[in-house]
Amino acid sequence: MESRIRVLLLILIASLSGCASTRHLFGHGHSQNVSQSSDAQSVQSEQQDVNGTPPRVIEPQVERRQIKVPKIRSQNFELGGYLGTLNIEDFGAHEVYGIQAGYHITEDFFFQAEAGRSKAGYTSFEVLSGIQLLTTDERWFKYYDLSLGYNLLPGEIFLGRNTAMISSMYILAGIGGTQFGGDQKFTVNFGAGYKVLPADWVAVHVAVEDRVYNTDLLGVNKLASNLEAHIGLTFFF
Amino acid sequence: MRELAPRLGRSALRSPVLFRACALLVLLLAPLAVSAREYLQVFVTTPYLELHTGPGRGYPVFNVVERGASVDVLKRRTDWFKVRTERGVEGWAAQHDMLKTVLADGTAFTFDVGDRAGFTSHHWEGGVFLYGDWGGASEISAYGSYSLTNTLQVELTVSEFLGNTANGTTADVGLAHVFFPQWRWSPFVSLGTGIVQTEPKATLVVPADRSDQSAYVGAGIRFYLTRRFFLRGEYKDHIIFTKRNENEKVDEWKAGFGFFF
Repeated sequence: MESRIRVLLLILIASLSGCASTRHLFGHGHSQNVSQSSDAQSVQSEQQDVNGTPPRVIEPQVERRQIKVPKIRSQNFELGGYLGTLNIEDFGAHEVYGIQAGYHITEDFFFQAEAGRSKAGYTSFEVLSGIQLLTTDERWFKYYDLSLGYNLLPGEIFLGRNTAMISSMYILAGIGGTQFGGDQKFTVNFGAGYKVLPADWVAVHVAVEDRVYNTDLLGVNKLASNLEAHIGLTFFF
Repeated sequence: MRELAPRLGRSALRSPVLFRACALLVLLLAPLAVSAREYLQVFVTTPYLELHTGPGRGYPVFNVVERGASVDVLKRRTDWFKVRTERGVEGWAAQHDMLKTVLADGTAFTFDVGDRAGFTSHHWEGGVFLYGDWGGASEISAYGSYSLTNTLQVELTVSEFLGNTANGTTADVGLAHVFFPQWRWSPFVSLGTGIVQTEPKATLVVPADRSDQSAYVGAGIRFYLTRRFFLRGEYKDHIIFTKRNENEKVDEWKAGFGFFF
């Protein structure tokens, strides 16, 4: 029994050693070959270094990450409307409404265009005599202007403990045209305003402007001064 | 009503079809949400980056971003950038400070700045003529132009003239050739066509409004002032193709300021 076991073990050992000797037949042991050959290469390259020939540089195949730069949104344009009171010389003060557009050129300077209209009332002469000097259509006071503005006194206003809004005063002056009393007049406008920005994209304006033009509507040539005060709301885009 | 809401919520989750549809939607939308950064990320290389409360040098500095930290660039107004720090603080950084930041790959953050180089090469231009003379009448005029190349611009001009005998409006479209866009004094010539609408004053014998086509040749000069500003003066020789036997010739002189962006 014991001898049988010995014979069995001997056969097992013999067969295992036989398998080991035939392993290259099935592709096993290849990795060892490669490592052996790389060893040989390194030895060869070292020999090349010694002989003064340049070593083989490995080209890194790394793809550089392309950074796609997102477009930065510019918010220099401003568009909105306003509502207020316009005092038309000799014709009383009445409500005025209009639209305004702006372009901010630098932090200081901005360009502004306004177009508004108001309906004039009656002169004291018209009220007392009952004679009407202008037709209903001619009583519409329509104007536009192109102005250059300058921001000054930048600051912040605080509402309670947690809210701060940026604000700024501005002055502006420009030229434009006024249609009133059946005539179109070259008009110079100038004024000042105050704006508060509850958010970066919205502004509340309070502005006072004078619109001056030369008129002979009532028979005498004179400079008519039309003072306007309005509250406006504009949006940046 | 208070009891209805939870009941609706439970029934929606209980419905397998709806639940799967929601899950599918989330799976489909998730890659969109994380695929690209919405805002440009730049890194501070100077000792610190100052954040102002508003887009102007007069607004106070309320926060600083340290060297090596990043900010997201949210938007731009004139020469100021609204940025958000890694901690979520939002403020305005000046253009000259942003020029010293770098992108994630280490390259400098570049953008158009309003300077002499911008005067030479830009896309859009606008301006207002504060002085205008249209054949003796006062004129108010504004223009806008688009640069096809540094030397060739397409221009659109809208004007209103107010005179003793007639009022009217004009609209011109044309081409302008800038000879030396890199010069501070930069001359140009222009050529174009337009429409003139004339309203003679009611006191005249023929008070009929009329609209005529016109053509012009012109010359002018631009002078770079500072930042995004320049002065512009020009002369245009208009020929108005009237319905009468003779065409009308009008000289137009204008001076004003312009800006580019």
